[in-house]
Amino acid sequence: MNKLVRFFLFIAVVSAVLLYAISSLNSSQGYSGGNTLTVFNWGDYIDPDLIKKFEKETGIKVIYETFDSNEAMMTKIEQGGTNYDIAVPSEYMIDKMRQEDLLIPLDHSKLPNLKHIDKRFMDLQFDPENKYSIPYFWGTVGIVYNPKMLHGKEITSWNDLWDPDLKNEILLTDGAREVIGMGLNSLGYSLNDTNKQHLVEAKEKLDTLTPNIKAIVGDEIKMLLANQEASVGLVWSGDASEIMSENEDLDYVVPKEGSNLWFDNMVIPKTAKNIEAAHKFINFMLDPKVAAKNTDYVGYSTPNKGALKYMPKEVVEDERFYPSPELTEKLEVYENLGKKNLAYYNELFLQFKMHRK
Amino acid sequence: MDKKITPLSKIFLAVIFFILYAPIFFLVIFSFNSGETMYNFKGFSLEWYRELFQDTRLLIIVLNTIVVAFLSALFSTIIGVLGALAIHQAKKRQTKNTLLSLNNVLIVSPDVIIGASFLILFTMAGLKLGFYSVLLSHIAFSIPIVVLMVLPKLMEMSPTLIDAARDLGASSWNVVTKVIIPFITPGIFAGFFMALTYSLDDFAVTFFVTGNGFSTLSVEIYSLARRGISLNINALSTLLFLFTLLLVVIYYFITQRNKPNGMGVRKR
Repeated sequence: MNKLVRFFLFIAVVSAVLLYAISSLNSSQGYSGGNTLTVFNWGDYIDPDLIKKFEKETGIKVIYETFDSNEAMMTKIEQGGTNYDIAVPSEYMIDKMRQEDLLIPLDHSKLPNLKHIDKRFMDLQFDPENKYSIPYFWGTVGIVYNPKMLHGKEITSWNDLWDPDLKNEILLTDGAREVIGMGLNSLGYSLNDTNKQHLVEAKEKLDTLTPNIKAIVGDEIKMLLANQEASVGLVWSGDASEIMSENEDLDYVVPKEGSNLWFDNMVIPKTAKNIEAAHKFINFMLDPKVAAKNTDYVGYSTPNKGALKYMPKEVVEDERFYPSPELTEKLEVYENLGKKNLAYYNELFLQFKMHRK
Repeated sequence: MDKKITPLSKIFLAVIFFILYAPIFFLVIFSFNSGETMYNFKGFSLEWYRELFQDTRLLIIVLNTIVVAFLSALFSTIIGVLGALAIHQAKKRQTKNTLLSLNNVLIVSPDVIIGASFLILFTMAGLKLGFYSVLLSHIAFSIPIVVLMVLPKLMEMSPTLIDAARDLGASSWNVVTKVIIPFITPGIFAGFFMALTYSLDDFAVTFFVTGNGFSTLSVEIYSLARRGISLNINALSTLLFLFTLLLVVIYYFITQRNKPNGMGVRKR
């Protein structure tokens, strides 16, 4: 009994020491003071130096928390019990959050740097007049391929994927909108098409692609492509830039028929406690120099027009990640098609997945 | 049956251990990689370790994880032992079985459900998500495990021990502290360490109840998945692996030193 009591006391003392260490670490970092700002962002999606710079300039301490999916983020905000001042959802989530009344309208007079954002990326369907959100990064959906493994063959359009030479070479990202969208795009239809006949047509076209498909996978697609397990993959541009930094043989292309345009956006959720600081933070991130530095760290495409001149020329002129105006015209943002239509997309995707080779 | 260990079974054992440990060693080796990826070893460097120790935020998260593990194991062991005693003491067979089944249901029910229900409970009760919500939920899911580790020890104990103690004039308090607890101490320690490891590696429940700047290691690592996991996580995992190895060694020496004698009751 004595031994047990002594052991438990020992554990209690160790815990107390650790708790003290944590609280002193926290206060040395300034996390426990009054003027704080809680940012809820994707993991590793901001340059940590910029957070320090913001803290130094404004005296506001930033608590940085991370999430891994839009759905998880929304659940945390919806449930309350948290006080996130800034969140960074993708565009389709903003529509949902707006409908659920989870967002606080932005005060544009406190965001003078808003003028630096490219007009092309403002006032989009998911958030008219940018009442609730400011674009943070954007990108496309496209094809990563390995010219060496394809013996110099180039891919420029969706229809190139149907080439019989690509037998068992294609990896697809597991997303209904992305894959069905590929079918629609290859037929020249809109990504937001709700015409059932068009959708069925797209699905049937996709069925004929099955001999070429190696697998439909999740996040591991990055590793598989970088390791040359397959020569072609359907991916988001953000993943593509990561894959290409790991394996320099690979190339990325946004097919000429058009593709998807996606955004991650800064918003102020209903849970915010420090709305003043949140505006300051958004405005800080919109500063061209800051945005340029952040883009350099994250590697996605920035919507900040002013930032482009502070970035290396070869990045800005890289049409794979900053497509030409003609191609940008053909890019479409996913619209919220309503529950019924989305269910139909999912059903077709499921049918396509079950289609036998 | 032949009790001798054949070479074949030795090989089998070696292969199984190799398979179990290979991923860990793989991870450890790449924590010393001077390159940036998990599949291309470029050369030896300690850069990731240096980066790890400079990252105060990550350090706080690690300490959080350890404190929550210690405290939740401590509280759940105390409550769990009391629970096990109560179940053991139940007179009616039916009550005993009911209590035990209620306990087991908590172990088999999926973490996701437990986590979601805690989230709903805490937000309804107005408790802010953070250290206390994580600690409370960890205590809660560890208790049934402790009960399950302690109960067999209690069952093993001969009732005559208690009768003898009572005959010799021991009060109920004395019976518990001088007879029962010393006998079940190994079970209590086992329960404590089980609770500790459960808390250290729990993801699903913790995922739901973290918030307000408080996070644990498993949740943090998971959220890095979208942008790819940096090798300083390898470095961190290596250190944690060594830490647990150290714990196991210490635990081994403690049990070696106090090897229980045949009767299971120690004189003190």
